Amino acid sequence: MKRASGFRLSLTGIALLIPLALFIIVVFLAQYAWPAIGFNGIRFIGTIDWSLGNLYMNPVTVRGYSVPLGANYGILAFIVGTLLSSFLALLFALPVAVGTAIFLAEAAPDRLRPALSMLVELVAVVPSVVFGLWGIYVLAPLISHYIGPGITAVFGFIPFFNIHNSTGSGFGLLAAAIVLALMITPIIATTLYDALRQVPRELRESAVALGATRFEVVTKTMLPTVRVTLVGGVVLGLGRALGETMAVLMVSGGALNYLPKTIFTPISTMAAFILSQLDSALSDPTGMAVKSLAEIALVLFVITLAVNALARVIVRGATLVRNV
Amino acid sequence: MRSDAKLRRSTLLRAAAAAALVAGLGMGVAQAAGVSLVETGSSLLYPLFNIWVPHFEKAYPGVKVTTQSTGSGAGIAQAISGVVQIGASDAYMSDQQIKQNPDILNIPLAISAQAINYNLPGLNDKHLKFSGPVLAGIYTGKITKWNDPAIEKLNPGVKLPDHQIIPVHRTDGSGDTFIFSQYLDFSTPSWANTVGYGTTVSWPAVQGGLGANGNPGMVEALKQNPYAIAYIGVSFYKEVAQAHLGKAMLLNKAGKFVLPTAKTISAAADELVGKTPADERISLVFAPGAMSYPIINYEYAIVNSKQKDAATAKAVKDLLTWASNQGNSESYLKQVEFKALPAAVKKLSAEQIAKISG
Repeated sequence: MKRASGFRLSLTGIALLIPLALFIIVVFLAQYAWPAIGFNGIRFIGTIDWSLGNLYMNPVTVRGYSVPLGANYGILAFIVGTLLSSFLALLFALPVAVGTAIFLAEAAPDRLRPALSMLVELVAVVPSVVFGLWGIYVLAPLISHYIGPGITAVFGFIPFFNIHNSTGSGFGLLAAAIVLALMITPIIATTLYDALRQVPRELRESAVALGATRFEVVTKTMLPTVRVTLVGGVVLGLGRALGETMAVLMVSGGALNYLPKTIFTPISTMAAFILSQLDSALSDPTGMAVKSLAEIALVLFVITLAVNALARVIVRGATLVRNV
Repeated sequence: MRSDAKLRRSTLLRAAAAAALVAGLGMGVAQAAGVSLVETGSSLLYPLFNIWVPHFEKAYPGVKVTTQSTGSGAGIAQAISGVVQIGASDAYMSDQQIKQNPDILNIPLAISAQAINYNLPGLNDKHLKFSGPVLAGIYTGKITKWNDPAIEKLNPGVKLPDHQIIPVHRTDGSGDTFIFSQYLDFSTPSWANTVGYGTTVSWPAVQGGLGANGNPGMVEALKQNPYAIAYIGVSFYKEVAQAHLGKAMLLNKAGKFVLPTAKTISAAADELVGKTPADERISLVFAPGAMSYPIINYEYAIVNSKQKDAATAKAVKDLLTWASNQGNSESYLKQVEFKALPAAVKKLSAEQIAKISG
C-alpha cells in the first residue's frame, strides 16, 4: 500500500507539471505586460491604429506612463485578421478533414489504408515555413491570376468577394486561410480517423442490421459517437491556426492600420505581427512597445481559451438536446 | 548468472567506448576552432558583407565570420543583447538608446544609398520623376492612381496608366524604412507631423498596400505585382535590372531630379560628411547641393565595446579595420554601387574601433 501511494504521488506531481507550466507562462505574461495593460486600457482591443511612436525623440509622459512621442497601440485589425483567417481556414478544412477520415475508415481499400493514413499524417509534420514558401511562389500567383478572377466571376456581386475592390496581388486573407487550412486538415483528419476506428463493431453491425445505408451508418451512428473527439480535433486545429506565425507572415501581405474589405486584401494576424514588430519594439527605450507586444500575446491566449471553452459548451449543449 | 555478469560488463564497456569517442570528438573540435564571429542585420549591407568575408578570412585565417540578413532592427537588437558580435544597420541608434546602452558603438563601414523602384508595364525603362511630397502622398493614400495630377506634373509628356498604385513597405525592423521615412520626413512637413521616421513606422492605412520582408522580399513584391512601387537598397541593383524594374529620379533639396549614381552619391556625401560627430551618428539624407542624391546613409556596424574575451575583441577590431580600409576599395564597393568612407571619417572610425576591448 505504501508503494502505491508514493507512486500515485509522483505521478500526480508529474501530471501537474503541464498545467503548472501554463500557469507560469500566463502569470509571467500578465505581470510583464501589466504597465502596457494600464496604459492601453480597453482601447487596446477597440482601436485599429498601431504606432510605436517616434523612437528617435525623447519619450513623453502620458497618463503617468513614459512612452515614445505619438505611441498609440491598438490591435483590432490584428484580432479581426486572426479570427477571419482562422475561421475561414476551418471552413475550408472541416469538410475535407471529415471526408478524409470517413474515407480512410470506411471506403479505403484495406491494402492501401496504412499507406494513405501515413500520408495524411506526413502533411501535419511539414514545417510551416515550407507552406509559407509554397504560398509565396505558387499560391499567391495562382490566386492573383486564376482563383481570384474565378471567385469574382461567380460571387463578384458581393463586394467582399470581388477582386477588383483590392489590388489583386494574391497576398492576403484568402492566401493565409488556404495555407492555414492545409496545415490544420491533417490534424483534424487523423484525430477523427483514430476515433472512428475505435467505434465498436457491434454498433455498426446493429445499424446495418436495422437497414441503414452505408452513408446513414456513418452519419447517423458513427459520427455522433465520436462527436466529442471531433470537437477536440477541431479545437486542436483551430489552436494551431490561431497561433500560426511563420507561414501566415509570409503570405498574408503584412497589412497595417486598416481592416480588410475583401478576401483578397492583405491582413495581419496577432502572432505574425508580434514577430515582425519585435526587433523594432526592442529599440523603444521606454520598453512600452515590447510590453504591448506581450499584451497582444496575452489577448491571443485569452481568445484561444475562449474559443476552446465555446466549442466545449456547444458540444455539451448539443449532447443535452439530443439526450432529452 | 554468468551470462548476466557478462552482459552487464559488455554494456558497460560499450558505454565507456561511446563516452570516450564523444569526448575525443569534442576536444578535437574545440582545438580546431579559432575565433568565430557572427554578423547579422541590414539586408542592404548583406551583399557587400558577403563579398568581403572570403577575402577577410584569407587575410586572417584564424577567424571565421558568419553573415545573416535579418533587417537593421534585428542587427541593433542582437548586438545590444550580445547574441552577435557585429550588428549591421543602415540606421544609427537614437539618443535614448545610446543613453541606455553606453557601451555600444556605431561604426560606419561604407556609404550606401537607396533607390525608389517601380513596376509599370511599358514604362520600366523610363526614369520617372518623384518628389518627397508625392511619395508621401502615395504612402499615405492621398495619391491613389498612377495618373494622379501630382505625378503627371512631375512627368510631363509621359502617358501614365489609370491604375491604382500599390505601395510596398517593409514589415521587419528595417534600416531602409529608416532612411526612406527620413527622406519623407525631411522633405514633407505633413509626414513629419504624422508619421515621422524610424526602423518601423505606423504606415498609414492604404487599402492594398503590401508588406514585404527584407530587400529581396521588396524585389519579389515588385516582380509579382504590376503597378507597385517600393524602396530598395542600391546593392540590389543587379536583381532589379534582371527583373527589368524601373528606377526613379528623386527631387533633392536643391530642387533638381537625380538618379542614384556614383557621382550623385559622392556629391551628397561631400556635403555632409564633414559634419560627422565623434560618435559618428548622423543622417546623410536630403543633403543640400544641386547634384546630391537625397537618400544616402552610412552603413553602421553596431558593436559592443566590451567583448567577451581578448581573442574575440581582436578579431572584431581586425574585421572592422579591414572593412573600413581594404574593404573600402573600389573593386568591392563597385559591385554594390556603394561609396568609400572619406579619410576624415575613417579616422573617426579608427578612434571608435580602438575603444573595443575584451
